[in-house]
Amino acid sequence: MVRVRYDDVTKRYGNEIGAKDIDITIDDGEFAVLLGPSGCGKTTTLRCLAGLTDPTEGEIRIDGTDITDKHPKNRDIAMVFQELALYPHMDVAANIGYPLKVEGVDKATRRERVEEVAETLDIGELLDRETDELSGGQRQRVAIGRAIIRRPSVFLMDEPLASLDAKLKVEMRNEIKKLQRELGITTLYVTHDQEEAMTLGDTLIVMNDGTVQQVGTPTEVYHDPANQFVAGFIGSPSMNFLQVRREAVGSQRVVAADDATFSFSVTGLPTAVDDTEPFVLGVRPQYFSVHQSPVDGAAKAEVTVTEPMGDEQLLTVQLAGDSKELAVRAPFDVAVSRGDTIWLGVSADSAYVFNAETGARIRQTEASPDAAVPTGSRP
Amino acid sequence: MATDTQLNRDIGRTLLAGVERIHETLDSYGLVPTVTNGIALLFVVWTLFPVYWMVSGSLRTRSDLLATPPKLVSTALTVGNYPELFVQRPAFYEFLFNSAVVTVGSTALAVLLGTAATYGFVNYEFPYNLGRFHLPFLVLTTRFLPPIVTVIPLYVIFDTAGLLNTRLGLMLAYAAFNIPFVVWMLKGFFAELPDSIVEAAVLDGHTELGAFFKIVLPMVRPGLIAATIFTVINAWNELLFAVILTSNTNAQTLPVALATFKTAYAIQWELLTVAGTIAMAPVLLFAFLVREKLLRGFTMGAVR
Repeated sequence: MVRVRYDDVTKRYGNEIGAKDIDITIDDGEFAVLLGPSGCGKTTTLRCLAGLTDPTEGEIRIDGTDITDKHPKNRDIAMVFQELALYPHMDVAANIGYPLKVEGVDKATRRERVEEVAETLDIGELLDRETDELSGGQRQRVAIGRAIIRRPSVFLMDEPLASLDAKLKVEMRNEIKKLQRELGITTLYVTHDQEEAMTLGDTLIVMNDGTVQQVGTPTEVYHDPANQFVAGFIGSPSMNFLQVRREAVGSQRVVAADDATFSFSVTGLPTAVDDTEPFVLGVRPQYFSVHQSPVDGAAKAEVTVTEPMGDEQLLTVQLAGDSKELAVRAPFDVAVSRGDTIWLGVSADSAYVFNAETGARIRQTEASPDAAVPTGSRP
Repeated sequence: MATDTQLNRDIGRTLLAGVERIHETLDSYGLVPTVTNGIALLFVVWTLFPVYWMVSGSLRTRSDLLATPPKLVSTALTVGNYPELFVQRPAFYEFLFNSAVVTVGSTALAVLLGTAATYGFVNYEFPYNLGRFHLPFLVLTTRFLPPIVTVIPLYVIFDTAGLLNTRLGLMLAYAAFNIPFVVWMLKGFFAELPDSIVEAAVLDGHTELGAFFKIVLPMVRPGLIAATIFTVINAWNELLFAVILTSNTNAQTLPVALATFKTAYAIQWELLTVAGTIAMAPVLLFAFLVREKLLRGFTMGAVR
C-alpha cells in the first residue's frame, strides 16, 4: 500500500507563488497526472514530492508517514526527468544499474536485475552501448529502466515524452501505461499535453496559476469541468466561449451580452442565470449542429476557414455581427467553403455555463423546472 | 557615406576576395597543400626554435654555443654540462624539490577549492550573488592588479604569520592566485551540466556531496585537467613571488635558481640551458600525456 497525500502544500519563491494549497491524494497503484499550462505549478508540486523542492507550508505523507523533511534519497522515490538526465560517462548497463550500485548491491545481482529490467523495456541488446549512441526512444527507455530498477514505492515522471516525435510519443505512452499497470507502482506524471494526460491517467489533477482546478477521471474533467479554465484546457480544439445573457427571464434563448448582435436557443440553461447578468456559455466544437439554411433557434454565421480532416471537417466561423471566431466540427459531407453562410444550433444540453467574472461553473440546480434534462447523459 | 562598420565590412570582403583569388591561382597549379604545409612549418619553426636552441645548447660546449657566426647545428655534442651543473650547483636538487612540492601542493589546493567554489557559484543562489555572475567576477578581479602590487602587503602578512621563506607560504600564495583561473575555466563546464543530472543522482541515493564527487566531477573531467595543467604551469614557472617571498634553499624554486645564472660577471649559458631543459621537462611530459584531454578542455563544449 503506497498512498501519497499532499496536505495543504504551498511553495513560494520569494513573493512568487509556485504552488498553493495543494490538497490531493494519490491512491495505491494509481496513475495520477498533473496537467496544466507551463508555469502552472505542476512541476513544483511534483518536485515537492521528490524532495527536490522544499514546500514553504504543508505536509506530504506517504502511507501516513510525514516525509516533508526527509532527504530525497530516503524517500524511496524514483523519477524520470524531462531531460532524462542519463549519466553521460556511463554506458547503458551502468546507467540502469546505478541506483543499485549506490545502494551497495553486489555486482552479480546488479547485472541480473539490469538484464531483467532491460528485457522488460526491450533494450536488452543495448546494454553495452554508450548513451550518446542511442536514439531518443532508446534513451527514454534507459531513463525509465534506471527509475524502475530499484522498485520504488512512488514513480515520478516530469514530461518524459516532451522531446520525442509524435509517433514515438504515442508508442512510448502506451508502453508507460502498460508498464505502470504491470508494476502497480503509484505514479505521478507531469504533462502539459492534455491528450497525453487523458490517455495515461486514472486521475487527472488539472492545475492553473499554482492551484488545483479540478481532480477527476479523464471523463469527469472532460464532461464535467469544474470551471471555465478546465473546460477550455481539456479538449482539442478548445471549447468555444461566448459572452451572452438570457434574452428574457425563463427564455431558452441567449443573446450577445453587450449588443445582442446574435441570438440562439440553448436548452437546459440553469435557472440561476437571469436576463440581467451576462455569463459565459461554453460549447465544444462538436456540439454545434451545422445547417445550410435558416433553422429556428440557430445563429447565422460565416465560414472563414475550412480544414478537412477525413471523416469530419473543422470549420472556423464568425457569428453574424460578432468578431469572435468559433471552432466548429462538422461531418465531411456538409458542403461549405470559405465565405459561405451557415446556421449554427447548439445541441440539446451540451452547453456549459460559467460565471463571467470568476469563471466558476454554474450548474443546473436539481429543483429547477429547466432541469428536465432529456438525455441526461451529460451534466 | 560609409559608416565604420560598413567600411570594415568592405575591407573584410576585399581581403576575403583577395585570399580567394590567391587560393584559386594556387589551386590551378596544384600548390595548395604545399603552401598550407609551408605556412604550418614556418609556424612550427617559429614556436619550436627557442626550445631547440635551449635543448641543443645544453648539449654543447660554451665556445660552441657562443660561436660567431652562430652554429645552427653542432657536430660536437656532449652531455658533460649535465653533471657539471650539479657539481657547480649542488643545491639544484633542493630547488627542484621545492618547485615540485610547491607546484603539486598549490595545484591540489587551487583545483580543489576552485572546483568546489565554482560548483557553488553555478548551482546555488547567494543573496549577494547577483545573477550568478557577481561573485565569480569578484573572484577574478583579484587578478586585475599587477601581481607586484599585491606582493608587498603579502610580504607583510607572511612576515607576521611566519610564512616567509617557507614552501607552505608559496603554496598558499600560488593557490590564491590560481583559484580565480580555475573558477573561470570551470564555470562554463559546470554551467553546461543540467541540474537534473545532480537531482537524478540524489534520487538514485546519493547525498549532494556524493553526487558532486561521483557524478559531477567525472563529467567535468576535461575542464579539471585543463585547469590543473594551467595551474601547474603557472606555479612551476612563477618567479616574482618566489624571489620576494623566499630567501634561501628552504623554499626557493627553480625559476629563482635559473635567475641566478645571470651574475654580475657573466651569464653561464651552458649551465642555464641545462637547468632550463630540466625545468621544462616535467611540464612538457605532463602536457604530452594529457594532450587530448587538454585540447578538449581548452576548446570547451566538452560535456555531452
